[in-house]
Amino acid sequence: MPQKKRIRLLSLLFLLLFAGLYISLVKGSVKTSFVDLWNFLVHSDQTHAQIFIHLRLSRAILAFLVGASLSLSGAILQGYFQNPMAGPFVVGVSSGASFGAVLALILGLNISFWGFSLQNVFAFGSGFAIVSLVYILSQRRGVFKMETLLLTGIAAGALASSLTSFLIFFKSESFEQAVFWLLGSFQLADWNHIRVIFPIFILCFLMSQRLAKDMNLLVMGDEIAQSLGCSVNRTRKIFLVVSTLLASSSVSVSGIIGFVGLIIPHWVRLLIGPDHRYLFISSSIMGGVFLMFCDFLARTIFSGSELPIGIITAAVGAPFFIYLLNQRR
Amino acid sequence: MKTILKFAAPALYFLFIFNPISHANQSLTIKDDLGNTHVLGDPPQRIISLAPNVTEILFALGLENRIIGVTRFCNHPPEAQTKNRIGGMVDPDLEKIIALHPDLIIAFRGNPLRLVQRIKSLDLPVFVLESGTTLESVLSLIQRIGRVTRKEKTAKNLTDHLNRRFNKIKERLNNVRTRPKVFINLHGKGLWTSGKNSFMNDMVREARGRNIAGEVTRAWFSYNREELIHKNPDLILVLAKTEKDFLEVKTWFSQEAHLESIHAVQNDKFSFLDEDLVTRPGPRIFEAFAQLARILHPSCFKDEK
Repeated sequence: MPQKKRIRLLSLLFLLLFAGLYISLVKGSVKTSFVDLWNFLVHSDQTHAQIFIHLRLSRAILAFLVGASLSLSGAILQGYFQNPMAGPFVVGVSSGASFGAVLALILGLNISFWGFSLQNVFAFGSGFAIVSLVYILSQRRGVFKMETLLLTGIAAGALASSLTSFLIFFKSESFEQAVFWLLGSFQLADWNHIRVIFPIFILCFLMSQRLAKDMNLLVMGDEIAQSLGCSVNRTRKIFLVVSTLLASSSVSVSGIIGFVGLIIPHWVRLLIGPDHRYLFISSSIMGGVFLMFCDFLARTIFSGSELPIGIITAAVGAPFFIYLLNQRR
Repeated sequence: MKTILKFAAPALYFLFIFNPISHANQSLTIKDDLGNTHVLGDPPQRIISLAPNVTEILFALGLENRIIGVTRFCNHPPEAQTKNRIGGMVDPDLEKIIALHPDLIIAFRGNPLRLVQRIKSLDLPVFVLESGTTLESVLSLIQRIGRVTRKEKTAKNLTDHLNRRFNKIKERLNNVRTRPKVFINLHGKGLWTSGKNSFMNDMVREARGRNIAGEVTRAWFSYNREELIHKNPDLILVLAKTEKDFLEVKTWFSQEAHLESIHAVQNDKFSFLDEDLVTRPGPRIFEAFAQLARILHPSCFKDEK
């Protein structure tokens, strides 16, 4: 029975993925139709190449990858902390990464090699610092206190956000940067961003898929997992690095985008159950599709101007999350 | 591209030496303020402006028929509003820009750097200008836009005219003894004012006034109330879009009990300047300067009428 459900969900997601790609390609502020797209595919011209490939396709793919990374990160964290309320934003990784990225930007560290910039390194470093801090503080004599975890995460995240705002306030003349880093945007997405995030996502995805069985054991408690042959410490370390890497690389290309990493894995677990072997892949695809549609809304809902995507994900995500919580009760 | 330039440069050099006509042409390239080299060819025919002041300069240079796109903030001259809108200064619509097939996009400091780089990466011909912080720098801004649009002559005439006007007003102020203390207040954002790195500051200085926020090295920021009372300005200069907004600010200042001790409030010294006029580094900023000089030193302009 669950097998059937899982297959049904995955095929539905792939269908939505193609639908999302299609409307992302065909709809935009410049009126284009399927015929234009077809003509472009048959004999390409420069204008349409720029609009279809360099603006719309790169943007849709980047939104997909960021959404997938954030929800995979959320799925890992929720398993890791055995708490459905965990997510990259809740435990403070996103805010920490955003602080690192802004710091690198303000220090003028624009050095990059192979599309991998110092900004990414900073984002990862400070994201990882925050999540480690939260991890250490919420551990009391080797036992996790879930309330402490959430509260520490929220506090650490708020601290990082305030430092980010401080840097932006002092160093930047424009409000635009603040909006980008605190609410997220794909407005300036290009293929270079994809070059950064794609290999990281694939690597992290394969890693977590490989260790999904161990995650299933960890959920039963560290002692049981250890006795069943899982090397708990090593697995935990790897998962923490992987989830931080996913969240921080997302933040460094698109700013903080809330809610995706929280609701998507949560919803997927309600739909197909807690087996991480299926949870990871389904969350990734669902998160990607969700963010692709959100970004489509962000750029088409008002003609002539664009909404920061964080507004859309929160507006769609929050009510839905409340609905889910109510359902369960 | 770079290699082409490498080969082309010596060739051009010889052309200059042996061809007396191209001597008059000076060089054929111009650098923008990001250091990118821009080749000057035929006059651009399809120009997109990414800022209101750029639009005003383009119109002043007589290029109205070559402008194909402006931002939603470009409201002057009124004909600018009939042009294609390509979005705002920080969120222009890249698709629309591409579809308009521009042969020149003029960006300004108000456009985020990331955005300008994205436009460049789409192989669009973008020319970026820093704003500077003095009235003098507006003249060179106009000349550079004149150069890149191949309207050098019109630009020269325009800047000469503006410069003459500028100097005439400065001459009138030569004998001024007192320099009134001015508090600049932008309507609608609390005590939002402009510091050292702004056109407003230079304008007040040139008009023989003292900007009380002039020692703060920022362009725009929110001023402290205590500091305002302490500095005690003689005049409050309100930058607003409409007369109604101006009156609103004036009423606010007059009704706040703790601001009673300020000279400007006691003597009812409030003046109104059009926000668009003073915040856009374009030809009209000299009109704003003339108005400000009259506000600060009316006695110097008595004989005018």
